[in-house]
Amino acid sequence: MANNSDRLAISRLIHRFGFGPKPGEFKSLLDMGLSGASTKLLTPNAQDAGLATVADIDFPDRGKFPKPNTPEKLIFTQTMQSDRRSLELWWLDRMVAADNALTERMTWFWHGHWATSLGKVEYARPMKAQNETLRKYALGNFKDQAQAMVVDPALMYWLDAGANVKAAPNENLARELMELFTVGVSRYTEADVKAVARALTGFSVTRSSGEFTFDTKKHDAASFTIFDSTNSWDATSIINLLVARNDNKTFITDRLWFRFMSTSLPKPAEIESAFNSREILPAVQKIASYVSVVDPAMSQVKSPVDWFVSVCRALKITPSMVKNPIQVLNYLDKLGQVPFNPPNVGGWPYDEAWLNIASTQYRIAFLGFLIPQGDLSPIAGLTGLQLEQALADWLGIAEFTTRTKAVIRGTGLTSAQIMTIALCSPEYVVNG
Amino acid sequence: MDTVTRRKFLQLTGMGAAGAAASQLSIMQIVEAAQQRPLPTGTPIVVIVTLYGGNDGLNTVVPYKDPIYSASRPGLSLTEKNLIPLGVDDLALNGTMTGFKTLWDRGQLAIVRGVGYPVPDYSHFSSMSYWQTGVPHSHVNSGWVGRWLDTQPHDPFKAIAMGSVLPPLLVGVKNTGSVLPLGGLVVPKGILATEFKLLGKSSPSDSPLQAMAASSFGDLLNLSKQIAPTLAKPAPIPDDLPSAVGGSFGSDSSLSQQLDIVAKLVAAGAPTKVWSVSLGGFDTHADEVNAQSLLVGTVSAAVTKFLSQIHATDRSNDVTVLVYSEFGRRVKANSTQGTDHGTSGPVFVAGQGINGGQFFGDQPSLSKLGNGDLATTTDFRDIYGSILEDFLDTPVGQVVPNWKTKINGLTLKV
Repeated sequence: MANNSDRLAISRLIHRFGFGPKPGEFKSLLDMGLSGASTKLLTPNAQDAGLATVADIDFPDRGKFPKPNTPEKLIFTQTMQSDRRSLELWWLDRMVAADNALTERMTWFWHGHWATSLGKVEYARPMKAQNETLRKYALGNFKDQAQAMVVDPALMYWLDAGANVKAAPNENLARELMELFTVGVSRYTEADVKAVARALTGFSVTRSSGEFTFDTKKHDAASFTIFDSTNSWDATSIINLLVARNDNKTFITDRLWFRFMSTSLPKPAEIESAFNSREILPAVQKIASYVSVVDPAMSQVKSPVDWFVSVCRALKITPSMVKNPIQVLNYLDKLGQVPFNPPNVGGWPYDEAWLNIASTQYRIAFLGFLIPQGDLSPIAGLTGLQLEQALADWLGIAEFTTRTKAVIRGTGLTSAQIMTIALCSPEYVVNG
Repeated sequence: MDTVTRRKFLQLTGMGAAGAAASQLSIMQIVEAAQQRPLPTGTPIVVIVTLYGGNDGLNTVVPYKDPIYSASRPGLSLTEKNLIPLGVDDLALNGTMTGFKTLWDRGQLAIVRGVGYPVPDYSHFSSMSYWQTGVPHSHVNSGWVGRWLDTQPHDPFKAIAMGSVLPPLLVGVKNTGSVLPLGGLVVPKGILATEFKLLGKSSPSDSPLQAMAASSFGDLLNLSKQIAPTLAKPAPIPDDLPSAVGGSFGSDSSLSQQLDIVAKLVAAGAPTKVWSVSLGGFDTHADEVNAQSLLVGTVSAAVTKFLSQIHATDRSNDVTVLVYSEFGRRVKANSTQGTDHGTSGPVFVAGQGINGGQFFGDQPSLSKLGNGDLATTTDFRDIYGSILEDFLDTPVGQVVPNWKTKINGLTLKV
């Protein structure tokens, strides 16, 4: 029997560095002990049997938008919408299916970091390609990731860099590249923003195919100064410059600490050295070594996607296979988070933003849709103490409070009602 | 266009509803307050409209006769046929803003020009944070309305934001505003309702976030009882929509939805003195001209309709609307028929308590730019001064540190 501090630490590992346990998984992790569980959860699978069950998906180049008010336009619009829904459900399926969800979890983190939206890109094809890029570099070297992303057609289109010319540079990508993607706000001057915008001129993007071209005639190859270095710049040398800065080490480890450990406790300084080489996996492992810290400020609220995916893993639900899967996307939209649709380039909010009467009512309604389609057998026939323990082990909860225990033990509740309570309990919605 | 919203801002400022976890809202108290002590008529009410993304002030209040304006923005500058001249200082409203022109002609809309703060910051997050905290170039964790709430007796109904995320604007040091989602509230019934009520009690072993999650159950059950019947009623019927522009009021924008709910609750007597609503999408780096015109047209139509709805109630003299954005945009267009982040911009103040039909503050000169950007001629803290002192009965210095001034003559309060 694992002690309580191991239960808390392993609960944090499985919910934050994965998407919550599949049935029976939390108990087997407890049996391994904290060290064994950490190694297992923080080492990506080379071959993942769960992921192998999700068929890959490919989106052809749908071409340009047909003219308005033509029959082709209507069919085209429906095809585009169908592509987008397939893409969103495909990724949710992967998050649910992965036996070791670390890579999907990190891809999800980087999606929030380089937050690009279908709302503007519209075509599923370039968004799928970006998603594969983020997955490829999810735990690799951040410099390689940034080199791939600065010329990612979906990101370039999203931030207006797909038509950025020497004659009148557009600053959107340049500013966000520094402020949100590599070094953080206030760690550069306005002159640097203007200079980086010049360095990134010359690209054009074809949205439907997800391809870019580079035209040297539209590129500003003059020699100018960024961060006191004078050079003739291009996208590659800009990324080399930005990622080499100490601010990049601080900024990326800050973001990781904030999203995985605590939005209010300061990051321990020693974490930064784990990112000296800009290798992501060792930095993530270092951050995960703090899961045993007992402090209420380590609590984190599950975002709507985190919560939904963990519910599906527990109930053995495949998002694309439910009755009317579009309902899944509608509920996530009401909760404020659909994959590939961040509200803006800053990504999604966190913690308190997901806790209010609106999100509470939509979580309850969503469960009314999901639970009848799920497998509730882990608590079949159980009552009292056995029921509480089976629920906590099934869902990966360190311990229910006396309040929630009393509610769960309420008389006359069906299994479905018990699950509704457990899955929107403060202990499940907020990882302790 | 990058839709900059509250969410982006909340995430990056790290403010969120920090105070809410500490002060457990008792919605029962709010419900009782709404029922037992409706706001007396004659009490000023302020509605704050935040435009996220940085609205292009030069294509909103347009110096259309200045040759530098059209020369700086080929393809992006508006010409007289797409404008509504205001007849003063060679300035015109964007042609979509017919509602605001009506308010201007009635003396119910004032335009404050060149509004900003010293040493502009071009980051959405930093600049919006300065506007909402009311303290430029500082990292305070409270908003100016939140600190005004701190000067008042604790009453979570006193300031309400529409939507599901509490903006830093309403976060105080000890008191905090509330949120109300669009679309109303649906309450679970039967045995689950009883159980959820029990789940709504906080437990000693809860972390602050878990306690907040727990309290949302109680809040949902209690608030919905009070709010749902009011929201089910029709909104007040506008009684004075000018027929010439009536056609443009049918738009179903999210802003007009938010303001519809505010109108119903104001009419119902909610004891709320400050409301916060918002609209995103103003970050027009590319293909700006139509998109930005549509957005400012939406703002104009939604605010005008709202004031008409209020006009049909007994609170027509009480309500003031303030419209602002975190910065204006660069004078010169960029390569993608848009504009990059800039500095100062116009602020709109509307209502029957406003000394409208005129400009306040100087129009920044297009020939005297600093780094390609407009000068700031009015500090936004002066506008907060007018709102606080003339409508919220609070000396500005109690809320905005080291600030003493307001815009003289902006309001009709003597």
